[in-house]
Amino acid sequence: MSATDAARLSFRDPVAARALGRRRSAMDRFITIFCLAATAVGLFFLASILTTLFWRGFAALDWTVLTTEFRPTTYGDDTLPKGGLLHAIVGSLIQVSLATLVGTPIGLLVGTYLAEYARDSALGNAVRFVSDILLSAPSILIGLFIYQLVVLPIGGFSGLAGVLALAIIVIPVVVRTTEDMLQLIPATLREAVIGLGAPKWKMILLVCYKAAISGIVTGVLLAVARIAGETAPLLLTSFGNNVVSFDLMRAMASLPISIYQQANSGFPDLIAIAWAGALLVTLGVLAINIIARVLLRKKS
Amino acid sequence: MSSTTDEQQAAGASFGGVQARSDAPINTVSRISVRNLDFFYGTSKALKAINLEVPDRQVTGMIGPSGCGKSTLLRVLNRMYSLYSGQRAEGEVLMDGRNMIGPDVDLNELRAKIGMVFQKPTPFPMTIHENIAFGVRLHERLSKSQMDERVEWALSRAAIWGEVKDRLHTSALGLSGGQQQRLCIARTIAVRPEVILFDEPTSALDPISTLKIEELIDELKRDFTICIVTHNMQQAARCADQVAFFYLGELVEVAPAAQMFTAPREKRTQEYITGRFG
Repeated sequence: MSATDAARLSFRDPVAARALGRRRSAMDRFITIFCLAATAVGLFFLASILTTLFWRGFAALDWTVLTTEFRPTTYGDDTLPKGGLLHAIVGSLIQVSLATLVGTPIGLLVGTYLAEYARDSALGNAVRFVSDILLSAPSILIGLFIYQLVVLPIGGFSGLAGVLALAIIVIPVVVRTTEDMLQLIPATLREAVIGLGAPKWKMILLVCYKAAISGIVTGVLLAVARIAGETAPLLLTSFGNNVVSFDLMRAMASLPISIYQQANSGFPDLIAIAWAGALLVTLGVLAINIIARVLLRKKS
Repeated sequence: MSSTTDEQQAAGASFGGVQARSDAPINTVSRISVRNLDFFYGTSKALKAINLEVPDRQVTGMIGPSGCGKSTLLRVLNRMYSLYSGQRAEGEVLMDGRNMIGPDVDLNELRAKIGMVFQKPTPFPMTIHENIAFGVRLHERLSKSQMDERVEWALSRAAIWGEVKDRLHTSALGLSGGQQQRLCIARTIAVRPEVILFDEPTSALDPISTLKIEELIDELKRDFTICIVTHNMQQAARCADQVAFFYLGELVEVAPAAQMFTAPREKRTQEYITGRFG
């Protein structure tokens, strides 16, 4: 019996139609409850993580944490000075901002090449493919790559190596968003610019970038949010440091690495500081995401 | 455009309900000569041996069913097709004695001479003033006061100055559809082209905005040579001095508007105009 037959039958037979209707609304209720339950499970874990983080993080977060370098554990002795995360905050700010400065122009140019010059070319497709693979590559591999390329030849861990590893993570994110945002610009707008007698590079620079700017900035911000929490590639590159250092040729601290080290220390006072660090990273990433969303909404 | 209505009433019998302007002496000086033009999208032939004279400072209307090649011809005239690989033209498009589809033509210079207004308004994401200045700056170096003067001139010619003069430095994206289209016309005029191509410029607009654009075209032909592609036969009749009818990539018939809409020579033209197909 085909679907049309069933429909005709149910119209003819009100009892069968009512039974069919009951079966359908029972199914509807079952699926709704199932979906809600799945959502609740997901939200429960997220809420649990966030409450623990905020609870422990805010308990440990104070002015000392923000303004002091690492100090060893006090073994619960309150007369000894407490340490903080200043070295890690400074290290993260330096590495993340330099990596963004290095990675963004490269990503922007590659994205522009893909969207404007190589839409259907074989080379363009190959570049796009490689960039997409890089986007989802495990970040420890990027750490290993820079370890081989920079750390071993120099003979030691360095902030520079950390910057390069993070920059490599930035590139594919910016490539993707730049290309997507430029692709969104309608052909009619491009033709209108060309129709006035504009060379292609002026069309890209003066009109396309202008039309896509908020999307591109959003992509950069998302890349910043991504590298702010990266730990694995830094373990093999900038490694970590217990003092504030501005020297790019020596090991440099970062928040994720400090969290990792202090959380593993086994001392309650250092673990508390690790919670404060985790809270700082989370709040930073949250702020960046909110800015990105506001920018995108402004565009649409 | 009350004059058109009067003409329609005065002229009495019309063909297929479409009445052409009666005062249409065709200028015999040709601005663009299309000779034996073939056009290909990949391997499919979209224009077949087109021969057309575009008279100087007159309006040439191009009509025909969708896919007949009228927009394609427009895109050949300013070489828009050169943006896309796989599209090519053969034959001659002569302007000032030069073949504009030849390989040694400076496309940016050509497009400054032959401007284009598109079906959908395409304001750039910048202020109204910058929209106009953008095109001018591509080809000329003007002082700030000269530029302001040019912007005012172009906006006035496009009959939109009064509506935007107090908001020149606000985003052009805030204008209504009809205003955006007149802004695009102003932007094209500002470059001071010799020819303006209109590709269905009113198909995205309401009747009042359409009327304004049509009046504008009528006014602009004093200084510019105009080609307009339209699906609206009334519009072709109201605006055009000369009308070209395209069908399946061929130029079936070209005639003064009055003749085209009253006594077309070809049976296919007659059938299209009377609404038998298309």
